[in-house]
Amino acid sequence: MMKKILSRSYLGLLLVMLYAPILIIIIFSFTEAKVLGNWTGFSFKLYTSLFQGGVHHSLVNALWNTLIIGLIAATFSTILGTMAAIGIHNLKPGARKAVQLANNIPILNPDIITAISLFLLFVTLGISQGYTTVILAHISFCTPYVVLSVLPRLRQMNDNLYEAALDLGATPFQALRKVLFPELKPGMLSGFILAFTLSIDDFVVTLFTIGNEGLETLSTYIYADARKGGLTPELRPLSAIIFITVLVLLFVINQRAAKKKL
Amino acid sequence: MQRFNLHTILRTALFVLVLASTGLFFNSCKESKESRSKILKIYNWADYIDEDLLTEFPVWYKEQTGEDIKIVYQIFDMTEVMYTKIALGEEDFDLVCPTQAIIERMMYNHLLIPFDRNFGSTPNYLSNISPFIRERLDAFSKESMKAEDYVVPYMWGTSGVLYNTKLVSAEEVSSWNCLWNPKNKGKVLMKDSYWDAYNVASIFAYANDIASGKRSVYSVANDHTPEDIALVEEYLKRLKTNVAGWEADFGKEMMTKGEIWLSYAWSGDAVWAIEEAASVDVSLDYIVPDEGSNIWFDGWVIPKYAGNVKAASYFLNYLCQSEVALRNMDISGYSSAVATPEILDEQLDSTLTETVNLSYFFGPGNDSLQVNPIQYPDSSIVARCAIFNDFLDKNDTVLEMWSRAKGDSLNQGMAIMIFAFFFLLAVYLIYKRVLRYQSKKRRLGKKK
Amino acid sequence: MYAFTNNEGDFSFTNFRKFWMQPEAMNTFIYSVGIALITTFLCLVLGYPAAYILSRMESRSSKILVLLFILPMWINFLIRTLATVALFDFLSIPLGQGALLFGMVYNFLPFMIYPIYNILQKTDKSLIEAAQDLGANPRQVFIKTILPLSAPGIYSGIMMVFMPVISTFAIAELLTINNIKLFGSTLQENIYNGMWNYGAALSLVMLLLIGITSLLNTGGNAKATEEGGLI
Repeated sequence: MMKKILSRSYLGLLLVMLYAPILIIIIFSFTEAKVLGNWTGFSFKLYTSLFQGGVHHSLVNALWNTLIIGLIAATFSTILGTMAAIGIHNLKPGARKAVQLANNIPILNPDIITAISLFLLFVTLGISQGYTTVILAHISFCTPYVVLSVLPRLRQMNDNLYEAALDLGATPFQALRKVLFPELKPGMLSGFILAFTLSIDDFVVTLFTIGNEGLETLSTYIYADARKGGLTPELRPLSAIIFITVLVLLFVINQRAAKKKL
Repeated sequence: MQRFNLHTILRTALFVLVLASTGLFFNSCKESKESRSKILKIYNWADYIDEDLLTEFPVWYKEQTGEDIKIVYQIFDMTEVMYTKIALGEEDFDLVCPTQAIIERMMYNHLLIPFDRNFGSTPNYLSNISPFIRERLDAFSKESMKAEDYVVPYMWGTSGVLYNTKLVSAEEVSSWNCLWNPKNKGKVLMKDSYWDAYNVASIFAYANDIASGKRSVYSVANDHTPEDIALVEEYLKRLKTNVAGWEADFGKEMMTKGEIWLSYAWSGDAVWAIEEAASVDVSLDYIVPDEGSNIWFDGWVIPKYAGNVKAASYFLNYLCQSEVALRNMDISGYSSAVATPEILDEQLDSTLTETVNLSYFFGPGNDSLQVNPIQYPDSSIVARCAIFNDFLDKNDTVLEMWSRAKGDSLNQGMAIMIFAFFFLLAVYLIYKRVLRYQSKKRRLGKKK
Repeated sequence: MYAFTNNEGDFSFTNFRKFWMQPEAMNTFIYSVGIALITTFLCLVLGYPAAYILSRMESRSSKILVLLFILPMWINFLIRTLATVALFDFLSIPLGQGALLFGMVYNFLPFMIYPIYNILQKTDKSLIEAAQDLGANPRQVFIKTILPLSAPGIYSGIMMVFMPVISTFAIAELLTINNIKLFGSTLQENIYNGMWNYGAALSLVMLLLIGITSLLNTGGNAKATEEGGLI
């Protein structure tokens, strides 16, 4: 019993630490002050002005872009990453080490280096920059993370399961779907979430690959504003809204899962 | 049953996503097919222009030339990124708005092209720019390139000290010494910009020479001789011990919170900070120290790879109209380089008690005006300011000096810890190798 | 490619020599490595128990909790860090190295928890039970069974924390008002200010470091997983 309480409270403590800054953001979203940390009285003004962005430089627009890019990039990198992981898993140890090393390079590289090299690459290839280049760039740096999520699962999985399925008469595709994927699903899911998280938070790589058509993601919008006039105050209600939404979503999923068990 | 539903949902979602992305891809292909002469690409800082103008300009343009135009507006947050994109990436922006030092660098590296003064029947508003700014602009003319052909000044201002009136006296901040004064230790912020830091340190270091007339502010800031650089390094090292830190964007915010008593700031930022601080009952003010400072300005230029010089030139003309300039001033909080009577009228504030002499900017006869002195400094202040140039080929040397001055944080404890760690790691790895070797031997031994 | 040419475009090692000779660059690098080590260590110490506890809980609530750990990452990095600054302000804790470490751990802890949690989840519980049946006390069970089995997760976690910490400069900038400089800043400054050659050389240095660490680790790790199977 004691152990349970200890372990629960430990987790609780960590969560408090993680969420303290976010709490601050939410609290200060209810004041008009331009600077985070000043309180000028309770007000909803920021929430209303949030949805009145200009046409060219709009926060909501940027958010929308960020979400779309994130989802697309995450999906493709999950697919790519899983395939890669399976491939890596079946390589001989020598080649495996080499490919793993190559895989890890984007993770370990400082993001600005990745950003500039991708930028130069796109320039050399003459690809006009915009949505496509950003998505491609995001895919390229998210995929290694997916590989890292899926590969350990493959290692832990019993290799014979796949062969057993084949022996029992399944076609390779069926074996893939019914044996491999369920095993890998948690890894793929966590890879997807990881890739999505990385994509929506990314700044430098996006900055260099957005081209000149006026594309903006949340990160580039925020950083650009921060340089000129301090952090856009409207960000605070935006973050609060995103946060609450996801929290509610999680709660709903939790409830649905509970119903399923019954 | 439920598992199947989830599965199908996921599959349809995936399908839709793939469709969406291919759709987007084709869409972007389609856009590039639109004629380039109907598009104007503008690259600017955030919140630096009235965005409604971006929708009004196409109307004006159609009136003047009968042609359609669409504006594509892109934001950058750091000059260096902008520079990299244009220099390395050959991006085809039509208009960019850098600060004068970068403009100089771009001109020097042949990255700019002159704009087109042929405006047909449209009146030429370019002469609205104050001669004061235009003169300073001329200092950049190099070889056969007249700066006036390449740049249209946009906003201008000074650099000085933003200070908390309750915690620091006005007298104290009338000298750059306030930044070095141990009395303010830990309560001072300096910009994390080697350009600003070098110039401030240099002016302060040579304050006596400037006062006695031996050297001008301009020469102190722009000569960049090895002795200058060495002396600046010394001063910067001393400054480092006194500052709370080197801020890039959040200095003015920390000042409104009262944690920092004084900081180096640009006039436009100061205006913003003073307003914001007032809303939380913190009283700030801005001053340009007596030793001297700089006048900075930024301007619109057309990069080498631009695709639509005609529309760009028209836009520059458009910007120089009084009403347009006023609106931009409103949004950005800075002072426009346009000096027409209309602008002057708007700036007059009869509640101000002190007057400033602005004949240098608006023309003779304007020597006692009630205008915000931060946005429009008095002529006495301007007299002790100079334009700071870019370091150009001394850039590398100064950067090295800058990183030496800022130093590093490595201390004994950290170094020891790191060495210990790697030492242990090496020991551990070797130990494992030895074990493996031994167990291999044992296994081989057993087999026999 | 840029790394190997100096400003005149000649093939030369000048840039590398510059790195060695400039003590601040070297020191900044070493310091960043140190910060990265401490951060990784802290993340490991804090994260492993968390991942362990999470893997022990029933799958429904543990999944939600794990997502809760990831959730802060979805709030934009800059505003998160600024909120941390505001937090420290509020609690009147001065910014500096401590704040830096807190900020780093705060940002990277989820990256450490996630892989370890994944691995532990998938661990065959029967192995642990077998060890217990064979008479091992809880400590032995942990050290000889669970730990080696979770090694790939630990390895992933370290990878996702260690190197990015060296290159993340924004946290250092904001949480120490630029007093502490990490290697990532040096890199960024050089590239941004037009000294592309030097910047490229610096990044090659990092790449080298990556290569060395990866080789060492993969070599050691593969064997570990093999031997991990043996009790």
